[in-house]
Amino acid sequence: MQKILAISGLTWKAALRFRLFAVIAVLLVLAVVGLPLIVKDDGTARGLVQIIITYTLSAVTALLGFSTLWLSCGALARDIEECQIQVVATKPIARWQIWLGKWLGIASLNAALLVLAGACIYGLLAWRAAKLPLVERTQLRQELLVARGSAKEADNSAAIDADTEKILQDRLKQNPGIAADLNEVRTQIKEQVKSDYQLVPPDYDRQWNIDLGSVAKDNLRDKPLQLRIKFESADHNPNGTYVGLWEIGNPETTNFFKLPPMSLAPDTFHEFTIPPNLFSEKGMLTIVFINENNMSLLFPLEDGMEVLFPQGSFTVNFIRALGIIFCWLVLLAAIGLMAASFLSFPVAAFFSLTMLAVAFSSSTLAETVDLGSVTTGSTPTAATRSITDTVFIPIYREMVNVLNLVENFSPIDALSTGRSVPWSELAAAFGQIVVLFGGAFALIGIALFSRRELAAAQNQ
Amino acid sequence: MKSRARKIVMLLLAAALLFVSGRVEKSLNGDRDALGITISLPLQDAPPVLALMTQALGGFRGLISNFLWMRANDLQINDQFFEAAQLADWITDLEPHYSQVWVYQGWNEAYNISVKFKDFGDRWRWVQNGIELLRDRGLRYNPDDLLIYRELGWFYQHKMGADLDDANTYYKTEWAQEMTPFFGPHGTNIDALVNPRTSQDRTNAYILETKYKIDPVFAQKVNDEWGPLDWRLPEAHAIYWGTLGLEKSKKHPDKVDPSLVIQVRRIIYQSMMQAFEHGQIIDNPFANSAELGPNLAIIPKTNEAYERSMQEDPGDARNIEVAHRNFLLNATYYLYEANHIAQAQKWYDKVRQEYPDKTILQNDVNSFPRNVSLDEYCVYRVQGVATDTSRADTTAAIEGLLASSYEYLAIGQDDRYAGLGLLARKVWETYMHKIRGFQNDVGRTGLPPFSDMNKLVLSGLLDPVNGLPYGARAVIRSQLRLPGDATMPYGVISTNSVVTTHPSTNAPAGPAGQ
Repeated sequence: MQKILAISGLTWKAALRFRLFAVIAVLLVLAVVGLPLIVKDDGTARGLVQIIITYTLSAVTALLGFSTLWLSCGALARDIEECQIQVVATKPIARWQIWLGKWLGIASLNAALLVLAGACIYGLLAWRAAKLPLVERTQLRQELLVARGSAKEADNSAAIDADTEKILQDRLKQNPGIAADLNEVRTQIKEQVKSDYQLVPPDYDRQWNIDLGSVAKDNLRDKPLQLRIKFESADHNPNGTYVGLWEIGNPETTNFFKLPPMSLAPDTFHEFTIPPNLFSEKGMLTIVFINENNMSLLFPLEDGMEVLFPQGSFTVNFIRALGIIFCWLVLLAAIGLMAASFLSFPVAAFFSLTMLAVAFSSSTLAETVDLGSVTTGSTPTAATRSITDTVFIPIYREMVNVLNLVENFSPIDALSTGRSVPWSELAAAFGQIVVLFGGAFALIGIALFSRRELAAAQNQ
Repeated sequence: MKSRARKIVMLLLAAALLFVSGRVEKSLNGDRDALGITISLPLQDAPPVLALMTQALGGFRGLISNFLWMRANDLQINDQFFEAAQLADWITDLEPHYSQVWVYQGWNEAYNISVKFKDFGDRWRWVQNGIELLRDRGLRYNPDDLLIYRELGWFYQHKMGADLDDANTYYKTEWAQEMTPFFGPHGTNIDALVNPRTSQDRTNAYILETKYKIDPVFAQKVNDEWGPLDWRLPEAHAIYWGTLGLEKSKKHPDKVDPSLVIQVRRIIYQSMMQAFEHGQIIDNPFANSAELGPNLAIIPKTNEAYERSMQEDPGDARNIEVAHRNFLLNATYYLYEANHIAQAQKWYDKVRQEYPDKTILQNDVNSFPRNVSLDEYCVYRVQGVATDTSRADTTAAIEGLLASSYEYLAIGQDDRYAGLGLLARKVWETYMHKIRGFQNDVGRTGLPPFSDMNKLVLSGLLDPVNGLPYGARAVIRSQLRLPGDATMPYGVISTNSVVTTHPSTNAPAGPAGQ
């Protein structure tokens, strides 16, 4: 371990000697302090905080991401090209120890810079929030500068599947020997069954029972909760909005509250605060929507109704979010070092940036996979599917699956919407990004580096 | 040495050529503009960062702009609007001369984003953002672009002035509060802005010009042409921006799309119609609220707007004719309601003259204007009783008219008080006239005497418990010379004795006479 730490120390010394650390630190501080001055928010305290979090953390991630790739490629490739590695390699130290030392050095350098940038962002947020009026400050603490957990209605999919199957079997009994694509029929019946759960016809109501857990009465007492709702309408009415009437709590008890009528747009997430303590002793919160519009409204099962509740402090949440960003930086360092283990500096840098570009285009790949075609703009049938689609779509699908393991974390989005980044998510990020992918790149990098002939001068 | 001298000569030559090209470019731009061969005008009055960006990025501006459009679209789909204002600024900065870009971004903010918020205050902020984007920035770089003026006028006329958005009353209230310091409590105080006499007037005129980009001199011209308008209401501003756009577009007549000119004129005419229908703010101090009433003073100019519109837009003349006839009938009724009977008759005669072959009562094939008197038409407008003899409905209509008339009396709208009272009597007379053939049933279906109905309504309104607020009751009693209200609000001194007041000093109280 001492040898690894020694190499790590050398990496730090090199970064300091070349003033890399100082330059990136200054750039980070400038980005964090300067961006909020030039970026225009939407005019609300909430918007201001959201834009500070989003832009500063994104800028920090981008800046550190590119510098990490550059540094990691340079740290190994340039040492080899300039023959400095020969001085180290002739010491009693294994190649894997040199590789890991570099990785640890770059990771710790990133950690230091991330702590510096994170502290600046946190300080900036605290300073800007302190200058706001009390009402806005309180609202921010309830909705944004907090780690909010989320609860939804119990999963209905088993009941929907059972109902679907029952209806399908009944129809098959009524129409024996019918030749139909059963999967297609099942899909259509399932959608009909789902609509019973989702649709609220005019003059009808829909009730959600959401379990906040038995600990709610202790943990959430006197704390306001937020509802996050979304609905769709079959048609667009002239003014583009619908009346929303909400009743929260048990109507048979005094623990019941009617919210004033709201003017709500369809296809939009609306978030509003409800009074505290409306849940039952067992932590069950009952929410009723009354549809007094002349049109059916559809609340999607996936995201139509969500209860947000305070789960922890913003500070710890912020640290966990930085933890996930750090995991990404560690992976980038591994990619850069792996590339530098067998390529010259410019090629390694190009290779690493290309991998980054592929990762950034994962949404395009996902869209292509959803569409099922690389070459055409519409979903092909079995008859029109080309050989290109047959070959590339499965490859893309696997690429998307792999990339999702790294990208399925969104700490910046979570922070900017006041959502909790749980410890389990941080642990998953560490496991998937650092251990699984970082480890794989490290193994490949070490193997390549160990087999490389260091004395063969690359630049001659 | 020779080489050094050559370098110096070359540098001097380069500097001279740079200077000359700068001079020539100015002249070339002028020629291009004069010959109408400029696709996009050179950026003027732009901040240095924007000027640098538009020049330095060159062809890459389009790529960056595309990326920003995609990001804005993605965020909007996910209902994340906190970046929308910034992204709109960047997108428009990258394409400052594409008026479609400005119009889309402004419309997106004022219409698409605003309606996503449930709180009316949030919606109003986004409507304002849309207006400011076009007015403060779009017009700065495209000062003669009619499309931007059209959109700006449309925001005022449709988004704020019409009632499609359920927050429209909130928008109108906020805008009226914002404009009142400049245009005064009646919204007509333009002269003080054009010829300021006090420092406050000068400050108001300055703020109006710099912040709201409204030129008081041009506003006065608009008011003279179309008014008197209440400048606290959005319609006046829709007319202002439409008229200004038409004026500016005269600078480049060959570049203006004729259909766009028609659209802008329509905005002006439709705003006139709206201003006529609800272009007056009527304050109700007793209810601590305000309501919108018709602006009868602009009837002749609204009529003129329709007539001009029919001439200028012959393709749409048939639809405009229908709207014009409805306007004339509305004008007739509103004037009658306000007790301007002679004026009402004048506009009703115009209906008879210009639209003699169109019936004016529903389900009555003989109801050509010549067959229906002014009184009959206005009574019909109240409740459609021309063919109806329902006692309950008629009673409700008469009582409603009487109650409204007294409420208008309480807030100083004496004309409407008299007009509605007259209308109530006409409804009563019409009903009693219709049932005169059923003498046996008069006892069963007839109405009580009009004076009794009037007294009943008045006593209800003057009831201290269930009637109007004390102040309103006092005004009605005073206006009708009725005896005083026996029921006084708490805290009011009910004597005529002089109230002794204590001296306003902090000195200890001493014996009287000292």
